[in-house]
Amino acid sequence: MLSRSVVATCSWHTRCFARTLATEVGILSLASTSTDLPPSPKKTPRPMISAAVILNRSPLITRSPSTFERAYYSYQARLRRALHNPFPYDFYFKEGSILETRFNVEERKRERRVFGPLFGIDDDVDQEKAKAARAAAAQLAEQEGEYEEMVPRLHPSDVSRDIKSLDRKGKRNIYLLLKTEQDVWRFPQGGLEKNELLHQAAQRDLYAECGQYMDSWIVSRNPVGVYKPPVLSIPGQFIRPEVTFFFKGHIMAGQVRPGEGISDFAWLTKQEIEGKVEKNYWDGVKDILSDY
Amino acid sequence: MAAPAAKPVIEAVTKYTQATSLTRFGLVPTPKKGLPKDKRTRLPIPPTNIITRQFAPSRYEDHYYNTLQDDVMYMTYIHERGPRPPPRQIRLRFDPEDPYSKYRKNPPVGGSHLGRQPPPPSSPENVTKLEKIQIHTMIKQAMTSKSEVLGVIMALRALSGETENGGGGKHTAEGVQIVKGKKQVGGWLRPGIPIGAKVTMKGQNMYDFIGTLVEFVLPRLREFDGLALPIAGSSLNKPSSVSGVVSMGLPPEAMGFFPQIEVNQEAYPRQYGMHIHFITNAQGIGAQDRARALVSGFQIPFIRTIRQ
Repeated sequence: MLSRSVVATCSWHTRCFARTLATEVGILSLASTSTDLPPSPKKTPRPMISAAVILNRSPLITRSPSTFERAYYSYQARLRRALHNPFPYDFYFKEGSILETRFNVEERKRERRVFGPLFGIDDDVDQEKAKAARAAAAQLAEQEGEYEEMVPRLHPSDVSRDIKSLDRKGKRNIYLLLKTEQDVWRFPQGGLEKNELLHQAAQRDLYAECGQYMDSWIVSRNPVGVYKPPVLSIPGQFIRPEVTFFFKGHIMAGQVRPGEGISDFAWLTKQEIEGKVEKNYWDGVKDILSDY
Repeated sequence: MAAPAAKPVIEAVTKYTQATSLTRFGLVPTPKKGLPKDKRTRLPIPPTNIITRQFAPSRYEDHYYNTLQDDVMYMTYIHERGPRPPPRQIRLRFDPEDPYSKYRKNPPVGGSHLGRQPPPPSSPENVTKLEKIQIHTMIKQAMTSKSEVLGVIMALRALSGETENGGGGKHTAEGVQIVKGKKQVGGWLRPGIPIGAKVTMKGQNMYDFIGTLVEFVLPRLREFDGLALPIAGSSLNKPSSVSGVVSMGLPPEAMGFFPQIEVNQEAYPRQYGMHIHFITNAQGIGAQDRARALVSGFQIPFIRTIRQ
């Protein structure tokens, strides 16, 4: 892969750290409670903590290289082909075998792809012999079933725009988003029980909202991000601020079956999530999600 | 005002990209002066230092940057409050003005504490990453006849995609290297005689090798459940535990499972076993565990051995 992806990952990480370093919540909450909350004479109200899971389906196929990458790769391939050591034919093939003929035919194709269509045209003096060699090679390849159709890079669910399919957008990272009965899109989340650890709560809440019929894995015990919705200050009334910790998870198999309080779900890319969730929520989670 | 001006530019750009192919290049310019030739091979020596780099996207590298890097960072992150305190000065500070200490070494008291160095603070820059893979093979029969090493060299060439001197052009790796004996061991080893070969892979070749190993070789090995993890409670201060290297061995029978050797296995005089080292950038206490976490992300299985 080229440096583009490296740079993208690094810069994403730095931004992620600068904005929402989850373990710095103690410092952040102290700072925010002193400014946002109405002045309380006794003590500041304890925040309501909940754990959310960003359930990710990793890319299934490699992404298509960009135009620059394609040009770079073909230039490097050309360099390498021009400079490579001589191929030891006698080591790999028996003299005059069909396999060697086939290799030569394929090698000529590869050379022409790199050096242009006229490369090696002077070597083909005996046209009939070259034609026979090509026919023999094609027959051998057919016997070995090499002309079977390859699976297309576009899945039927991409064509039918099925946002519930786990096979959609094979080149991209997609994330599970749930729609509550109040018509709010969010990641699966839930509250904490007494004496429960955050990552345990995240796992339990994921099962409660998405059902038992999927094989998932919570990556780390550390939260990967934190979100604090803005607190509405009503004079004379104490409202407990909310704090949501995000955990990263992977889905291995199975599918979501919406539980209680959930009306719908979707597997979406980062760009698609932006259109679904509220502005504040988006600002809180956008740096956790992968750009591609 | 800006919008109408921008349109022709876009048109021109699309026209340009359509007209020229990105993967085709012009004809090679013929050199006006004759290039100097290598005396031995009689091949022309290029006037520039040509370095060959990655020439195709790599699936496993994509996997690392898409998924594994984030996961490994989340798994190995250790939170620290503020900067670390400076190390305690046990011995007097080195004073260059002092004539006694001026030309003397100032080693730390009680050794280098190699096994007790803490890992560097977690940051996006030092997320565990695979730096290189090294394979090496020793062949006992080479003691009596040097030509036995040739088979090993060919096998390592086929496995790694590397040749001597990187195979034309400069390369980031040294290619297949012959290992020679260093010590005199009675009736077994003499200094200077070739006894095996090794190869270091980086970048594209390294990721391709993992792909072959994981998809073709390990699933076909008999009675292989995974690499053995150390017994629970074993020391974490050993030099191997803090070096960030995961090592494994393959028996001679496994060589035939590599598809690049399977095609002409009869061309090799015998089957060779090999040691494989996955070398990562992990440092400090627990470095080997972090390296294992990374390597297991490439689907290399690990198994916990239970003390009998």
